[in-house]
Amino acid sequence: MNTVIPDVALIDNSDERAPLVLVLDCSGSMQEENKIQLLNEGLKALAVDLKADPIAARCGRVLVISFGGDSNVEIMGDWTDAMDFAPPELRAGGLTPLGAAMRCALDEVESQKSQMRTAGVSYKRPIIMLLSDGEATDEWRQVAAECKSAETAHKVNIMAIGIGDEANKETLGLFSNKGALSLSGLKFKELFIWLSRSIRAVSRAPSGGTVQLNPVDSWAKLST
Amino acid sequence: MWTVFSASAIGKRNLEQGAAGQDASHCVVTDDVLVAIVCDGAGSVREGRTGSQFIARMLAEQLSSTLQAERNLPEVQAEGCARLETTIRSAIEAVRTRLADLAAAHQLTLHDFSCTLLGCVASPGGGCFFHIGDGFAIQQSAAGDSVLSLPENGEYADETYFVTDENWKDHLRLTPLLAPERGCVIGLMSDGTAPFAVNRARSGFFRPFIDPIAAYLRKATAPNGNEALRNLLESPRACEISADDKTLLLALVL
Repeated sequence: MNTVIPDVALIDNSDERAPLVLVLDCSGSMQEENKIQLLNEGLKALAVDLKADPIAARCGRVLVISFGGDSNVEIMGDWTDAMDFAPPELRAGGLTPLGAAMRCALDEVESQKSQMRTAGVSYKRPIIMLLSDGEATDEWRQVAAECKSAETAHKVNIMAIGIGDEANKETLGLFSNKGALSLSGLKFKELFIWLSRSIRAVSRAPSGGTVQLNPVDSWAKLST
Repeated sequence: MWTVFSASAIGKRNLEQGAAGQDASHCVVTDDVLVAIVCDGAGSVREGRTGSQFIARMLAEQLSSTLQAERNLPEVQAEGCARLETTIRSAIEAVRTRLADLAAAHQLTLHDFSCTLLGCVASPGGGCFFHIGDGFAIQQSAAGDSVLSLPENGEYADETYFVTDENWKDHLRLTPLLAPERGCVIGLMSDGTAPFAVNRARSGFFRPFIDPIAAYLRKATAPNGNEALRNLLESPRACEISADDKTLLLALVL
């Protein structure tokens, strides 16, 4: 009898996951200058670019949270592996409950981490990316402080990004120890490609280390 | 009732250092009662290999004979595996004591023999996994349902718990099995085997891995099956995925 077992698939299933939460402003003002449409196109570029990289496609875990619209804060579907990520079609309307949206993101990150721990899946530090073009319309200070201390405790990495001149950079800056950045023009696509490349880098990084992300000059306005 | 195959392969890391494999497995089947153990000796201690070999063999034999003597057959119970638990705990206690004596005779301590413990007791009525530290145990029913015992690691990825630890009782975990029926596969594996044998969701075997193996083993003789498993664990592709020692013990109900 031959002692080689035929047709056995030998694949590494043990990759560490790199969770990413996108917290996206879909308030009424996002209708102006076609911003919501550009944001949707950016999300599509993110999905394509993540899937183009085999490691990021396997390791990335994505969740989209929108705020504004009719139902204030909405979790758009479940956490999905990047390889299965189908971006939702976002619509603009309503207010800017930024605090509630970030509270939801923090909670989702912790519950996802605990689910992965239970399943014995290891993971990198999750990233929350907050994108907003306006002024928070709810109580946000307490949540912002919690975001900063979650960052200090190495629980999460938060990127706060303002869209356009109306975005309140001071408010956004209080959600992260790194302050806020501004999107240059409406370079959503460049931003999301950069984000995808960051997830690629994080997916490949040894656990416990810090990751050097690419420079942000493809999309960030560096003056101000 | 049971057909059991097992193999170990020395990982690249130990091969390069000229070290011996730290994994061990042992299995005893008496009157349809399966007792199977896989241990992974800590690479960082002097006698990890001796520890894993000692625990795997002695504990399998001790448990098997105690179960026979007590006529305490593993069965499915509403309260889980409470009745078995006492037997398993005292068998571990007894084997630890013997290993501590051996250590003392060589001016060593239990810590010098650190190894993980992954075990299974199963009879037609049921049974349980018992587990301290890393590695995976999986029971897959003929219908494809799975019962798992997942690894427990310390704060850092390369830290785990050992049966030789002072506080081993705090980390002993028991998982009741489904009643083993025809077509079921029980697998015990060290952490070097898990990356390709367990699926991405950590909810069962990776089916494209286990299905061809189970189909092959159902027709294999023991020496052939063991050799085929070892060839697989030693294959370049398996070594590329994990540099650790790899052990896989499979018990099939034909």
